[in-house]
Amino acid sequence: MIKVLFFGPVVERIGKNALEVGYRPGMTLQALRDELALHYPQAFEIVCFSAVNGQHVRDLALPLADNSEVTFMAKFSGG
Amino acid sequence: MKDAVRIQSDDFSQDEEILALKASSRRMGGIATFVGCARDFSEGREVAEISFDAYGSMAVSEMNQLRSDAIAKFGLLDARIVHRICTVTAGDNIVFIAAGAEHRVAALEACRWMIDELKQRVPIWKKETTPQGVAWVVPHP
Repeated sequence: MIKVLFFGPVVERIGKNALEVGYRPGMTLQALRDELALHYPQAFEIVCFSAVNGQHVRDLALPLADNSEVTFMAKFSGG
Repeated sequence: MKDAVRIQSDDFSQDEEILALKASSRRMGGIATFVGCARDFSEGREVAEISFDAYGSMAVSEMNQLRSDAIAKFGLLDARIVHRICTVTAGDNIVFIAAGAEHRVAALEACRWMIDELKQRVPIWKKETTPQGVAWVVPHP
């Protein structure tokens, strides 16, 4: 199972702050993103960054491990 | 002593943070600080309050990395970063950054670099409440 977390403006567009997606061997971050973007296109319009297990990931071809924690995030606005 | 990097809901004391920074080295000759605070006006609208959301564990991890990067890049003796995650109104403190170095140039440049990097790298989002409604802030330079 992949745990997907959402924060800030993405939560508002998805309507929840977390969901779980079944893990499939060979699953990449790109595949997960594509799958979620189909269901939540408005949320993914503002997604700029991805993280896996709390680390920024820029290569969406990254294979995911089972039980990963993935986050798709809008541009940051702290400070 | 409090951690050099923190997110917290309570306000911070600049005096306490600077004392903690100075306690790390007697060689420190320059300290630069930045305090980000809440405004009552933004993008042509009055702002009643600002609230924050954060990916807490990643935000602290990124802020720690940011501090380490700044120490290495500018040869700092120490640095501190504190960000509040709560609801604030005009005049309230939001973020504190301090850079301590042997001389002023490194401290000043590192302080500016850290707040700019924080805005790019740290997963924190702010939401403004205005008379027109509530809206997440779209970042600008």
